[in-house]
Amino acid sequence: MVAMPATRPRWRRRLRRYGPAWVGSAIVLAWILVALFAPLIAPYPPQAQDIVNRLTPPSADHWLGTDVLGRDVLSRLIFGARLSLLAGFSVVLLGAAIGVTVGIIAAWARGFVDEALMRFTDLVLCFPPIILALAIAAALGIGSTNTILAMLVVWWPKFARLARALALVQRSQEYVEAATVLGLKPVRILGRHILPNTLGPLAVLITLDLGNAILTFAGLSFLGLGVVPPTAEWGSMVAEGRELVEQWWVATFPGLAILTVVVGFNFLGDGLRDWLDPRTRGR
Amino acid sequence: MPRYIATRLLSAVAMALLASLVVFLISALVPGDPVLAQLGDIQASNPQTVLEWRAKWGLDLPLWERYGIFLKGLAHGDLGISIATRRPVLDDIVQYAPATVELATIAFLLAIGVGIPLGIAAAVWRDSWVDSLARAISLLGVSAPTFWLAFIMLAIFYGWLGWAPGPGRMDPIAFPPEGPTGLFLIDAALAGDWEAWWDAAAHLILPAVVLAAATIGLITRTTRAAMLDALGQDFVRVARAKGLRARVIVLRHALPNALVPVVTLGGLAYANLLAGAVMTETVFSWPGLGRYTFRSAAALDFPAIMGITLVVSATYLLVNLLVDLSYGLLDPRVRR
Amino acid sequence: MSITTLSRRSLMRLLGASAAALPLLPAGRALAQARGSTLVIGLDISDTITFDPVRQAQYTPPMTLAACYDSLMTLEAHDLINPKPSLATSWTRTPDGQGWRFTLRPNVRFASGATMTAEDVKFSFDRILGMQEQTQQYIKAVDRVEVVDAQTVDFILNSPNAPVLPIFCNPGCGIAEKAVLTRQGATAGPGAKDTDRATEWLNGNSAGTGPYRLVRWERNAQIQLQRNPNYWGTAPAFERVIIRHLSDSAAQLLAVRRGDVHAAFNLIPEQMATLRGDPNVRTERLPSLDFVYMAVTQNPAANPVLAKKEARHAIGHAIDYEGILNNLLGGVALRPAHFLPIGVNGSTEQIAREIGFSQNLDRSRQLLQQAGVPEGFEMEIAYGNAAVAGISYQVLGQKLQSDLARVGIRVRLNPMDQVNIRTVYTQGREAGGVLTFWNPPAVCNDLWASAVVERVARRVHWTVPPEMTALVKRASEEQNLDTAANLWIEWQRKMVDEAHHFILFQPIYQIAVRNNIRGFPLTAAGWQLEMAHVTPA
Repeated sequence: MVAMPATRPRWRRRLRRYGPAWVGSAIVLAWILVALFAPLIAPYPPQAQDIVNRLTPPSADHWLGTDVLGRDVLSRLIFGARLSLLAGFSVVLLGAAIGVTVGIIAAWARGFVDEALMRFTDLVLCFPPIILALAIAAALGIGSTNTILAMLVVWWPKFARLARALALVQRSQEYVEAATVLGLKPVRILGRHILPNTLGPLAVLITLDLGNAILTFAGLSFLGLGVVPPTAEWGSMVAEGRELVEQWWVATFPGLAILTVVVGFNFLGDGLRDWLDPRTRGR
Repeated sequence: MPRYIATRLLSAVAMALLASLVVFLISALVPGDPVLAQLGDIQASNPQTVLEWRAKWGLDLPLWERYGIFLKGLAHGDLGISIATRRPVLDDIVQYAPATVELATIAFLLAIGVGIPLGIAAAVWRDSWVDSLARAISLLGVSAPTFWLAFIMLAIFYGWLGWAPGPGRMDPIAFPPEGPTGLFLIDAALAGDWEAWWDAAAHLILPAVVLAAATIGLITRTTRAAMLDALGQDFVRVARAKGLRARVIVLRHALPNALVPVVTLGGLAYANLLAGAVMTETVFSWPGLGRYTFRSAAALDFPAIMGITLVVSATYLLVNLLVDLSYGLLDPRVRR
Repeated sequence: MSITTLSRRSLMRLLGASAAALPLLPAGRALAQARGSTLVIGLDISDTITFDPVRQAQYTPPMTLAACYDSLMTLEAHDLINPKPSLATSWTRTPDGQGWRFTLRPNVRFASGATMTAEDVKFSFDRILGMQEQTQQYIKAVDRVEVVDAQTVDFILNSPNAPVLPIFCNPGCGIAEKAVLTRQGATAGPGAKDTDRATEWLNGNSAGTGPYRLVRWERNAQIQLQRNPNYWGTAPAFERVIIRHLSDSAAQLLAVRRGDVHAAFNLIPEQMATLRGDPNVRTERLPSLDFVYMAVTQNPAANPVLAKKEARHAIGHAIDYEGILNNLLGGVALRPAHFLPIGVNGSTEQIAREIGFSQNLDRSRQLLQQAGVPEGFEMEIAYGNAAVAGISYQVLGQKLQSDLARVGIRVRLNPMDQVNIRTVYTQGREAGGVLTFWNPPAVCNDLWASAVVERVARRVHWTVPPEMTALVKRASEEQNLDTAANLWIEWQRKMVDEAHHFILFQPIYQIAVRNNIRGFPLTAAGWQLEMAHVTPA
């Protein structure tokens, strides 16, 4: 019953193992290119209204149909990639930067500082994120920058926890002790030794988290917080088409766009983990 | 042990209070006036009336005094009066919570029931089609936007195929079962009203599947990884060398070890399900806490927002504590 | 029992007997029977705060209140100008000419079985006056109510010609049973504001003479009504009414298609279009007296260009009203010239066409030149996160943005939550335009016109000239309808010229009704549906 994978052909195993990672990279790369060259690819300006031809089904002129204001869904989808990716990257990278800083400081300082910082991360983690996002939007106004800000507030703790755990492990490693004995400054030890060794697991978390951040951003947009119209954004596009059961193309395609880009990041993150993990790499 | 629990409980209480304080401070920054939104057009135009109403909700007091009043009420188990619904926040929460608890619990059971076996199978038959299938399911579950999935599922299974009942907790004309818990499945069962039970159960299926989708993915992944880990451990090799049957090895030896991370994740996932049902509840017209949260926040209903924050963060912390305590029961190393 | 039902249904499905056989739906016998005598309505009731008639100021509760409480008079759907008898059979001026004398309908009984008398009428109105809630504001012309005898009541007014009669028709002025309310903690007269405790009870019960009584309200879930056995009029056909809260219009569409509800109130035009092919569902139209409009401030501190009347006129001529009406709303809406809905005295489609704005881009550009901004200017349009008549402010805002861009007016959209928008607008702090909605509490020209000169003007920083206020007073107190109509036209013409409010449309709501319901009488009088007269096919 416990299978013996070794009996399978090597190439098939490889394909199974690494195929998704390649597919993931391809999807992510494709979306990044779409976002970068949106003005060149999109057949129409994303804001151009054609009120007479509103809600037309997919056709040769409009491959993915038109929306409530007669705008081309495909063009809005293409431009929407920009905001979704931008939001995803900024939240995760900034969140990681803040979190890693906090985590490493906590691990390094130990004692009271460590305790205080970790309790603070616990506090942030127990927040209902929706309330926070809504409250921030109400206080600062609706818009993508404010939404990214709101997300950041709740985003960094998981990185702080991971970074702290990794740094604690590293800290006890012999080479760090050696460096300390040699009289290297703490900042130097942190930057030259601890950080590089924690990068692998962090890269995995970041990649997997990008999909997560894009989903959350789309979700907040869906609730009406993400972007100021007429900016094209996938979550708000789904929201605009949510009531149109018959005009399924309005909500279905932006949803699929979110799905594919998140699948891409997940594949990529999984692949990265398998590749970095010494235990799975060997087998 | 009791001392550990007491410390943790105390810190949880402090944390929940802190969370409510933060929310309170943020909401105090908001320029909008919740009273104006609740008054009729004429009243809202009358400065005198507006002042009276602000005084009625203590909005004219200084910040610290308002928070003091909140704390004082809290000490008596009183979360204040909601500005939007004009009744005690606690009553509101007690009304909406069971719907969410029922939905989240079913979704959680579903996620566990599907995710753990799937994860085990994927680890045992690693790199086989079962593994691929598990991977595909978990990937789609994690990647699909909940609000979109809800829309698609409702359109297909209710609108098009007609296999599932529509939105809401029960058939529109059915009387909800009366009972002590507010959980329709339990109340209906207690009352012996099986027609209502079926009705409620059928209405739970679609929203539970949608809500569970992401969690199924997470649990499958974690179980698979943990099982692989456990199957590679020395004691499994020893067991195998002893010639124990595969089933015994997997279920009796590897699984208990693998469950520890799954329980951690499961606990957090359950807490998140409770808090994260907003979108599912919106699309399925589910009268739960998620929508109450959204509406209260959108209406800047301070007392309600603070009450919810308190309850949600306390739940989250409590679940966390239970998870930590369960380690002791599950992990054979700790047990020993 | 459920299991046998299930298997029978599965069998039917296997035989292809019915596409509606649902393996997951355990529609038992009891449910099926209940369905026959129950009317189920799908409606978004999330705005409901209370069912205390005196305290109510929201949009959907009047439907329920009108089914539970009768007022002294009522308005019929086809004639919104002349009130008709309801609990009062006739009314004349009081002998001193200072008010109105009502003769009550004899032998009317409350849901409890007790007979209604003048005491109940006085108590109900004293409670309204004492509570000083929104309803009181509309009848503030009433000084006091005096009982003449058991069947006669006098309303003494503080300004004898104030147009109170149409306002008495709204369910907020419904007559409640004094004995029951007092038992539940109600008080009337001065101080009621602080001493009355009946609202809690009234939120789950009712004490009126209407065709139904309220038996249950679950917030954001459902409202249940039960037939009033003592109703004085023709008994309603349905034993029970359930108003089911369905916040999502897509869910409402599916529910009405599937027959889970008999009528769906919150469908959007696109969904109505898809229902046209459905043989089981028809569309009923509910004309409304509501407005969806944009208010533009003239506060120079907010936007100096908008302070110039020419610039505001340029906006008026740049908007594609036809596109909004015909394309976005599928032609199912009206557009009055100003704040007098089409259908009331002095407002018809003809008049609106003559004196209202219409799109004329050249004229608009010309006006911009006169305003000293030939290249156009920048302005903000704020709106709330909501929808009216199936169209969201967000879509409407983007439409206006693209229309105004054609003459060079660059619009910045500013979406807000409902509370912030309300605060900004009622306090006159808008930075440019605000997209919003107005629905009348009762049908009465004066309510709109006075509101405009007394309150709404302040929000756009417009100082109302005294002759405008005088004109409103003259028009509302004019007893001759033709003369009044001319005065109202003059008022609208002046308001259009001020160009602070651009009426985008007056919605006609489309209600999807299943064909197993024959009569479904809708009304624009404020309560949407004459629930007592809904009949099965």
